[in-house]
Amino acid sequence: MSAVTAERTSAPLASRPRTARRHSLTHPPRVGLLLVAPALAMIAVFVLAPLLFALGISFTNWPLIGEVEFTGFTNYVSIGSDLGFLRSVLYTLLYTAIVTLPILVLGYALAVLVRSRRRGATLLRTVFFLPFVVGLTTLSFVTLLEAQPNSGAINLVLAALGITDGSTAWLVDGPLATALISGMVIWGVSGLTMLLLMSGMQAIPREVYESADLDGASWWQQEWRITIPMLRRTIAMSLVISVIGSLLAFTQFYVLTKGGPGSATATVVLYIYKRAFVQLQLGAATALSVVLVVVVALVTAVQLWLVRGEE
Amino acid sequence: MTTSRRGFLRLAGLGALAAGLPACSSVLPAPDTTAPGFGTSATGTVRVWCRAATQDGLTSLVDRFNASQDRLVVELTPIPDVQYVTKLATVIRARDVPDLVDIDDINSLLFVYRDAFTDLTDLIADLGYADRLSPGHLALATVEGRQYAVPYLADCSVLFCNTRLFERAGVDVDEATTDLDALRDAARRITALGGDVRGWTFPGNDQGTLGFVVQPHVWAADTDLLRGEVGAQRGNVVGNEAVARTLEFYRALWVDGLVPPDAFADDGSRWGADYQAGRIGMIPYNYSTVVLDSDPEIVADTAVRLLPGPDGGRAFFDGGDNMCIPRGAANASGAWEFVKFALDLPQQSALPEGGFTPVRSDVATPEFAARYPLVLPPLQAQDEGYAPQTLAYNEIYNQPDGPWLAMFRRAVFDGEIEAAMAEAQTGYDRILRQAQA
Repeated sequence: MSAVTAERTSAPLASRPRTARRHSLTHPPRVGLLLVAPALAMIAVFVLAPLLFALGISFTNWPLIGEVEFTGFTNYVSIGSDLGFLRSVLYTLLYTAIVTLPILVLGYALAVLVRSRRRGATLLRTVFFLPFVVGLTTLSFVTLLEAQPNSGAINLVLAALGITDGSTAWLVDGPLATALISGMVIWGVSGLTMLLLMSGMQAIPREVYESADLDGASWWQQEWRITIPMLRRTIAMSLVISVIGSLLAFTQFYVLTKGGPGSATATVVLYIYKRAFVQLQLGAATALSVVLVVVVALVTAVQLWLVRGEE
Repeated sequence: MTTSRRGFLRLAGLGALAAGLPACSSVLPAPDTTAPGFGTSATGTVRVWCRAATQDGLTSLVDRFNASQDRLVVELTPIPDVQYVTKLATVIRARDVPDLVDIDDINSLLFVYRDAFTDLTDLIADLGYADRLSPGHLALATVEGRQYAVPYLADCSVLFCNTRLFERAGVDVDEATTDLDALRDAARRITALGGDVRGWTFPGNDQGTLGFVVQPHVWAADTDLLRGEVGAQRGNVVGNEAVARTLEFYRALWVDGLVPPDAFADDGSRWGADYQAGRIGMIPYNYSTVVLDSDPEIVADTAVRLLPGPDGGRAFFDGGDNMCIPRGAANASGAWEFVKFALDLPQQSALPEGGFTPVRSDVATPEFAARYPLVLPPLQAQDEGYAPQTLAYNEIYNQPDGPWLAMFRRAVFDGEIEAAMAEAQTGYDRILRQAQA
């Protein structure tokens, strides 16, 4: 009996009896179809149809004004020689590289600070999460005011500390603008990472740490050997969210620099926006968007695959 | 299952086709402007769009028009300036256009070139004062000799001079405003008055305003930064002597400290305030900023001249609004009736109250001249007004990452004039190539 059971459980899927499963998968009860129908309809109308429509647009010249003409793969072929787009890709990758790790490290540090149930932790969580709640748009407008030479708080504080003379024009210099925007984003977004990691930390059984204490493990050893390994999935999710957000960065750059000075801070989405709504070339812009969607999907898949592979 | 999936795909395909077909259709039918009674006996509602920057004046105009008769009701919809082109293009594609659009004249050509507006040539010719209308405005809506817009108001860039500072510095306004060398010398002598007084001012990080006030120096030399017919244009930057000398002029103003230090990062949000405070000798800008809400004493001490070129000549940016009737307009007749009302002398004479210049030169009666002396110079020299006819103005001049601002900043603040012009040439050509594709 036990031999039969072992044989059954170790048998390959192909050799298993499939009648019942085939019946349940390919001929589901009508009620099941009815239950998923609204969701399927929503996805079809609001995701698939626009995606197909966008794909169609990307094979035309589709100006916002004027005649639409089918152009085949012209929009896709010309991407390779579009220097503005290629520059924006490089800048977006640089920006992503700059902000991703600090967001994770700061988010982790904040999570360590607020994960316990001691007094004041809730207040700290709220304070650290507040910038994320306020949102990047509002933060960007505040930063726009506070970065003004001679009058903004950032310059006044730096002048008071004797670091600068208070006249720094942050937003008319590419590296300075990138530093300012990166700093603002790290501050504004790490609250979300904190929240995600904190939830993961609180889910780790207390007994694991008690056992480590008995073995004489230090705080650092516990973080390195217990917390981080057990948070791998949460860290991966935080990274995916952070990287996608950086690859699709738009709001903060639109408000603060609009891609300038020159094209020093033009991100991919900002460039696509300008092709669509400044140059009024929706066909070319949509082709760029399609490429971006594919790239972001691939990057995300690779990230998830890497984590899954290690498990 | 197979059947239903195929059915679903068929349905999705049909849906996409149904959604796509109307969107693909292009030019809307033009209204019949030769119909009996056109523009004289219309009834019903006239839907008018205006841009937010000129909303106040349009609101007052609409109120007066609605009160003046009872056959027509004009409904005004203000649109934020930065969204105007996109929104208008969207409603044209959706085939639900307003009856009349009051549009930034620099954007007129974008729509005219793509057959979106009604041909108004014969209607304009019948106005009786067609030859008095701003030629700069009309040029921005003229293709192959046909006019698709009528000017409504002008917003011109001219040079405002603080005569009190000129007198203190011992500089004559007329002699100081003949060419760029004279301007620089005057700026130097005014700055020498000391304190925080400066001879000149410009917002070094405000691409739109820089395009508005710097380009006329180039145009005054009878050249432009663009060359070729619309649709086949290229940049005209490298080798353009007038551009090089204009950039050298601004470079000298900056290096010699003849402008406030804030000019480096000024995005235009506070610009003009120092002139209104009496600390600036010369400011190239528009009537509304310098005159409205200003100290009457400063206004009284202000003189206006057109902007000179490197070796003389005069020019000004002929900005402002054009009025156009979109093809497909439901009440084009009522729209034209409103246009004629807007162009009547009483309405045109009142434009300076809102900070704008009339587009009819015959408005300049002695009474008008006495009341609005600072409006007069561009009005009396309408032929010197110009604005580039191109499909890519916004991207070249009004974007912070456009080649215009990059060239100006690199040349003026870094001193790399030749390299800046070479870089700009590439940028102009690239943008024009994409816009004209």
